[in-house]
Amino acid sequence: MSHQDVLPLGMQLGALAILLCFLGWVVWLIRTEQLSLRDSLLWLLTTLAATAVTAFPQLLGRLAHALGVQVPANAVFGAALLYLSVNVLSVTLVASASSHRIRRLAQECALLRAELEALRAARGAEAPPADHLLPPGPRP
Amino acid sequence: MRVAVIVPAFNEARSLPAVAAELRAHPLRPDVVVVDDGSSDGTAAVAAGLGLGVVRLPFNLGIGGAVQAGYAWCAARGHDVAVQVDGDGQHDAAFLDALLEPLRAGRADLVVGSRFLAPGGFRSTAARRAGIRYLSWFLRLRCGARVTDPTSGFRAAGRRAIELFAAAYPHDYPEPEAVALAVRAGLAVAEVPVRMRERAHGASSITALRSLYYLVKVSLALLLLPPALPRQGARAVPAGDGRAP
Repeated sequence: MSHQDVLPLGMQLGALAILLCFLGWVVWLIRTEQLSLRDSLLWLLTTLAATAVTAFPQLLGRLAHALGVQVPANAVFGAALLYLSVNVLSVTLVASASSHRIRRLAQECALLRAELEALRAARGAEAPPADHLLPPGPRP
Repeated sequence: MRVAVIVPAFNEARSLPAVAAELRAHPLRPDVVVVDDGSSDGTAAVAAGLGLGVVRLPFNLGIGGAVQAGYAWCAARGHDVAVQVDGDGQHDAAFLDALLEPLRAGRADLVVGSRFLAPGGFRSTAARRAGIRYLSWFLRLRCGARVTDPTSGFRAAGRRAIELFAAAYPHDYPEPEAVALAVRAGLAVAEVPVRMRERAHGASSITALRSLYYLVKVSLALLLLPPALPRQGARAVPAGDGRAP
């Protein structure tokens, strides 16, 4: 089995360029603090791995061989699907944790506001009314 | 025994006065807290005007998040019993004593009011009753809870259940799951017969189209119950001791 068949040179260079741009974009997003390193670590690591495999397609041939996949191109599809699934799952995990925290925060805000209004009522009319507090926002 | 009534309310400004009057007239004189789940019809203002406790959520969390906020309110204020009463007037305050009886006798930590243990009252459509029977069966299969009306939102929680629900309460369609959660946490669940009324205003939050989603979602949630007990005593929403100086 010839490794040259795995990826034609032109396609290899093109894929490498795209992956490096993507890697550069992720790094830039992290450095400008638009993406937290903690949430994007998986993107960085998996993209680095994809870059390594593109730069050295022999790795892919060996992987395909080890997995018993006849056509290395199928190993590419498999690896790409895994790469996307893992990253999407990690994003969903972050979203789940965030929505849980937002729910607890909303409850705590509401309880603190109830507390505050009870305190104000107990102190009588000397305190200003709580009109400056935000009205309920648009619902999803 | 200090009794609180949690009234989760989403756009129930029209129903609240009747619900409040009924609870006020009750000899137990419960502390009533209305949890306004991001209503746009002035539910919170109406509740405050009626002199009820108000917890106004900044946006809609759904029934689970609203009820949990109510339990957190009760946990912080040290109530011995928290009764859930829907804001739409379906639940009859005349059954409060019946709900509290197993708690008073120390026979239960959570008491569910069931439409199906006694004749009469509003019993929902045949299709929904079939769904409820299925959920009841599945709940017993999954965690051994014997509850004939697992979707009933008319229930009373003792101190241990209040602490549990303040720390962990299911979302979306929480009623059957909350029963499972309580059983899993080692709480005793009892059921008493109640009669329910048809809601006075508005529509049920569960439309015909959503019923299937409801059944699938609740079944999955029951199937995927966490294997371990939730951590007891993990107070998730601290809100002071709840007393004004």
